[in-house]
Amino acid sequence: MSDLTRRSILKLGSALIAGGLSPLRVSAQNATSGKTFGVLGRLDYSKAKATPTICFACTNHCGVIGWVQDGVVRKIDGNPLDPNTEGNLCSKAQGMISYTYYPERILYPLRRVGKRGEGKWKRITWDEAYTELADKMRPLRENGTPEEFVFHYGRDKTKGYTKHFTNAFGTPHRLNRRSICSSNRRAPLMSFYGREFEWETQDLANTKYVINWGGNPFEAYQGGLFMAHRLQSARVDHGAKLVTFEVRPSATASKSDEFYTVMPGTDGAVAFAMIHTILKEGLENKEFWNRWANIPLDDVRESVKDYTPEWAEKVSGVPAADIKRIAIEFAKAAPACCTMSNRGSAKHYNGMQADRAIRTLDVLVGNVGKPGGYCLSSLRGWSGKYGQEGLPNLKMPEPKASDPKPWGMGEGFNETAFKKLPKEVQDRVNNFPDKWRKKYFGELATPSEYPLAWHWYQMRVGQLVYPYIKEGRQKVSVYMSFTLGAAFGYPEANAAREVLLDEKLIPFHVAVDIGYGEQTALADMILPEATSLERWDYHSTNNYGLVPYTGLRQPLIAPQGESKSIQVILRELAHKIGGGMEKHFTYKDDESLYKDWYKELPISWEEFKRRGIWQEKDRPKDYELYERPLTEAELAGTNFEAGKLAEGALVEKDGKAVGIIKDGKPVRGFPTPNRVINVYDEIFPEAAKAVGLPLTDGNASPLAVWHEVPEHVDLPEDRFIFSTFKWNVHTQGRSGHWKYAAEIIHTNPVFMHPDTGKALGVTEGDEVEVSVYRPTGFTYRSGEKGVMGSFKNHVRFLKGMHPRVVMCSHHVGHFEHGIVGESKTTETSPAEGKSDKLADKGLKDGVWWARKRGGIGGGVHINDALPINPAPLIGGQNWYDNVCSIEKV
Amino acid sequence: MSDKDILPWEKVGKQYRLNYKRAGMLVDLDRCIGCHSCSVSCKTENDVPLGNFRMRVRYLEQPDNKQISFTPLICMHCVDAPCLKACPSKAIRREDDGRVFIDESRCDLEKECVEACPYGAISINVEKEVAEKCDFCTHRTEVGLDPACVSNCPTDALVFGDLDDPESRISKLAEKKQAKAWKAEEKTNPSVLYVSHEKWMEKKANTGVQLDSKDEDVTYEQNNLK
Repeated sequence: MSDLTRRSILKLGSALIAGGLSPLRVSAQNATSGKTFGVLGRLDYSKAKATPTICFACTNHCGVIGWVQDGVVRKIDGNPLDPNTEGNLCSKAQGMISYTYYPERILYPLRRVGKRGEGKWKRITWDEAYTELADKMRPLRENGTPEEFVFHYGRDKTKGYTKHFTNAFGTPHRLNRRSICSSNRRAPLMSFYGREFEWETQDLANTKYVINWGGNPFEAYQGGLFMAHRLQSARVDHGAKLVTFEVRPSATASKSDEFYTVMPGTDGAVAFAMIHTILKEGLENKEFWNRWANIPLDDVRESVKDYTPEWAEKVSGVPAADIKRIAIEFAKAAPACCTMSNRGSAKHYNGMQADRAIRTLDVLVGNVGKPGGYCLSSLRGWSGKYGQEGLPNLKMPEPKASDPKPWGMGEGFNETAFKKLPKEVQDRVNNFPDKWRKKYFGELATPSEYPLAWHWYQMRVGQLVYPYIKEGRQKVSVYMSFTLGAAFGYPEANAAREVLLDEKLIPFHVAVDIGYGEQTALADMILPEATSLERWDYHSTNNYGLVPYTGLRQPLIAPQGESKSIQVILRELAHKIGGGMEKHFTYKDDESLYKDWYKELPISWEEFKRRGIWQEKDRPKDYELYERPLTEAELAGTNFEAGKLAEGALVEKDGKAVGIIKDGKPVRGFPTPNRVINVYDEIFPEAAKAVGLPLTDGNASPLAVWHEVPEHVDLPEDRFIFSTFKWNVHTQGRSGHWKYAAEIIHTNPVFMHPDTGKALGVTEGDEVEVSVYRPTGFTYRSGEKGVMGSFKNHVRFLKGMHPRVVMCSHHVGHFEHGIVGESKTTETSPAEGKSDKLADKGLKDGVWWARKRGGIGGGVHINDALPINPAPLIGGQNWYDNVCSIEKV
Repeated sequence: MSDKDILPWEKVGKQYRLNYKRAGMLVDLDRCIGCHSCSVSCKTENDVPLGNFRMRVRYLEQPDNKQISFTPLICMHCVDAPCLKACPSKAIRREDDGRVFIDESRCDLEKECVEACPYGAISINVEKEVAEKCDFCTHRTEVGLDPACVSNCPTDALVFGDLDDPESRISKLAEKKQAKAWKAEEKTNPSVLYVSHEKWMEKKANTGVQLDSKDEDVTYEQNNLK
């Protein structure tokens, strides 16, 4: 209870305290409590059982309490023991219930019987499924071509368990969607700080000033729920100021103290002008900079000398006087000030450099790691890494398989696989420096045109997986997609579907998922997965309270129908494949696995299950981790001898820097190779040279530099920027099944400024056709002429839109998602996978917004019209660069 | 950390009771981020069918500004409740703690309450063939929990408490932040009070729960909202 504030108890119920113990009051209200409310009625809290678990509705993973009555999960509340949420939760948490009881959830293994994509299925047993799958996979492993098994996930929070499977099988192909999400933003964090720390962790509870470039923590930011209550409390209760640069009136922009509409792709210009201003006014923190930045301040001063606020006003549209004033206010609030940029600034051609400029601002005012400032908290997965010192070591307890051998060079490298690559690719890789050849694992895992996507670790370039398979860069024999919505949510989703339909390119596709969707519809076999309310997981993430904690996802109910957790599926499949794979999967059930995973936790397993959360008592907050002295134990075996190492020298162990000498003493520094902050980084020009990106391209600059998005240069008046966004009730294309979320947001009109509408001759409600062009610049299919794709949708005006921007949200317009996702009155997915017994009866007539019931229907799918557009070197999708034209229909 | 600590959710039970004289809610629009957690939590909690809202969050474009205001709206639990007077079958009653409660077993679906309510807070539950509205989650408050919307608000924008107790958090906040009634001219003396409420919102609030005006008319008609 020590970590609990009074307020966090209040989140569950003020009446618990206000009322106190008193005799039972048999109220008249009780008389109706047992009546049939809706379909199931209200739950009875005197009978319902509460179990703490971890939400899996989005990427936040909040501690929650699930209430179960008569074997049915009825309600989700916040877990007040969670130090990150402090008992809060958002609407999405209830979506886990909607999904668990979705009438069209897949509950039994299915095998395709018609043509692929035709929608004809038969129910099969798990044994039939495993047998067929193992018979297809086993020869790949036995014949030395395990890389022809490709595992591709949408969201995997098993913390290493799926990797354990792909390693045991021997394939390097455990693909993800990081480039779809955030790699342009992660690269600057890796470069600056050596770790991305699962994002920076701003100390919002104590901050006085926040500058936000296109981040939307009140709606959709990873970590947003942890940030929202701290930020609102800082603002409303303590007078902190939130300044937001955005292109639309997001929830965060709307609740900001100052909101500026900024031309997309020009956030960096504003940040550069702020650096310029702070240096000009002499408001920088010289002491911090000289101690921790890797280049002299004068180099930065020189590099930003032309980036005046007046220049930035011309580029971005933000008034120079405001840029200047905000920069000064920000610097004066230091160190209790911080930046935020996720990911409006980053998902552009120039996004890496824009984010590097923003990151530079924090270093410049010296707020890094300070109370109220830009903090870095411990990373997920406790294994003694930076910031996790002294925490219990929590690791997956199965006997580990070794990592696959690299393809380029190194001991026992996989030359056979390498030789199958196109000649052009082989030549490129052979010219790479050894450090990259040793990390090279073929084009899907480590695309050679995007070395920064795997220089630090494998972020990969997910949107190129299908084009690369089509181009023959990788032969695929068995393709397993896991909770992946690429066929709906990737750019050029139609091109992804085309590859998924082609049985020559993908001979066998097995999809592991909870519900039927666009991806599973193109599978040969569907394996039903348990929902987050039915499974176990290990959880840790950065805590905005700045003290590490861990939480347990545990089942509230048994998996419905014949669904199984991904852990069980992979374990049973491994045993069926055999050939030694089974030796890596020794646990009989998930609970024993997780019990051992957590065996070093200083509380009992039963107590951990009871609380759902563990946090080390009295651990200091993660302030200034870099200044913490190295302990005797950490110094053992290093080159350190008291008084021998010069100021700034590295403390090294086995050839690796573990600390740095500051004021004559060994301290931890940052987890970069040189233990300082790399404001300047040669990795950018090095990567550029390796792939032939001209050094004149801003992405190649070792120091953050302003450069324009190529296709935005001299944008004709009849062209606009088409951008996208997420709504607060929806999540990453995974919420189409949630009835209450879909009820609130089921359309995605084309939002535009009224003046834009006037210029186009359209008014609210008019139908327009939005046509999107391929990008220019150094990217995939760049510069191809003509329209890449288009869609029709109706117009909605908002004064907060940037006049050169039009926007639609994604999430909606599903075409294979069942009665809610497709906005129907009757069920649409294969009957063989369903069970009426377990279904939500409230959906028997479909949804009121269905066209058949006189409604508006379910929005428009836009992703077929959005081009694949990876940023140079890193490969992050430039979602917010698209240029479009608009015509009234 | 003793294993014997009783955890907050383990305290939930029938032994708790409220001693409120006037149960009420404070809605702080400065804190609200429009996330819909309150409304979705309410629907899950009360198994509210699609099409009905006991609690709804409105998105209102500010008349002279480019920002959007967010406004949660529920039954105001008026001291002078027009619905209570309008109901011919006496299915609506006032509880000891002041909340206005629909006894669904007595509702004959005459719909006069729906007409009488100036806030559009009552809707017809087609499944059950009764009128329904917020009752501050009696089933939660009688076991020591806050109403679902209050428990599930991530920014502390909703406060439940006793407006008759000058020492209660809600009363102190209402005074400090000058909380006001929605549509004060209706003179219904609501027990739900708003911080930073502005008059223009009342007119605009007669629209849907989202920003898509093309859908708002449908939402409005289907959901009996006003």
